[in-house]
Amino acid sequence: MQYRNSLFSILLLLTITGFTIENNAKNAGIKRWVVSQNSSLSVNGSTNINKFSCVIPAYDQQDTLIVAANKEDQSVVLTGRIRLSVSSFDCHISAMTRQLRETLKEKQFPALYIRFLSLNRLPVATAMPERITGLVDIEIAGISKRFDVNYRLSGDAQQIIHLQGERIVNFSDFNLVPPTKLGGMIKTKDELNVDFQLNMKALN
Amino acid sequence: MKKILTTGLIAGCILFAISYGGLYLGIRFFPRLFVEYNNPLFNSDGSRDILFYMHAFIISLALSWFWDRFKVLFKGSFIMRGVEFGLVYSIIALLPVMWISFSSLDITLVMVLSWFLYGLAQAIIAGLVFAKVNP
Repeated sequence: MQYRNSLFSILLLLTITGFTIENNAKNAGIKRWVVSQNSSLSVNGSTNINKFSCVIPAYDQQDTLIVAANKEDQSVVLTGRIRLSVSSFDCHISAMTRQLRETLKEKQFPALYIRFLSLNRLPVATAMPERITGLVDIEIAGISKRFDVNYRLSGDAQQIIHLQGERIVNFSDFNLVPPTKLGGMIKTKDELNVDFQLNMKALN
Repeated sequence: MKKILTTGLIAGCILFAISYGGLYLGIRFFPRLFVEYNNPLFNSDGSRDILFYMHAFIISLALSWFWDRFKVLFKGSFIMRGVEFGLVYSIIALLPVMWISFSSLDITLVMVLSWFLYGLAQAIIAGLVFAKVNP
């Protein structure tokens, strides 16, 4: 009986440690990137009479992105999101700022979110910008859509990681109607270029 | 009454072409003047576009009635009568409305002045039509 209990304990121990070793082998590189407050986001669009660029010049939260690289299939899982207040947008023309906030339904949905999901490979943050791609969920006005984003990632001497992402989205992707004025004579185009610059500090 | 309606409709068609044609050309050639219209103050979902385009007929019919009632007061050639009619309308009706609009709404002086001049031009054109068609 005692022999059977010992054998069971050894098997249990092997099973637990085996799984642990296996998991560690799979997720060999887990990194934490803390998003700093000098990160920014801009939304660029146009109407038939002008172009506009609306920016959130300084990110007012401190969020962390977790980067987990899987050694087996080289995939990289990103976990984390950034929350951006719609009220922080500044289009440099007060009327246009108010218009954008209204179009994004600020009263109903005061924030938009970018949820990071994956990268195509584990980046090495060097001074030379590296081009990578990844999946994100962008949520605007309560509607979330998945997009492939092109990134440029680099690191500087202060160990700050710069992640610049760019993606063209449409108002209509989020069930939003681009505004028209004066009986349709002034029209905002459906297409928007979303550009974000995240400056992050690696925690290890 | 029939004369008022007929004259109003004729003026409405002419104003429709001139007003919206002029607006279209203004937006095309002077786009910077219209940037401020990207403002939530102005309807942006297209739900009132039909009302916007009916304006030429609303103002023409209203002015046609006003002309028929007071045309005896406007003397001189048809041009003089039309211009004076436009000025009278602008001073009595447009100026106070523009004044209250500028004082209470978040709009620019350029915007209000352009509305005043737009209304003045519409009233003068309507006056010229009335002086010719319903002297």
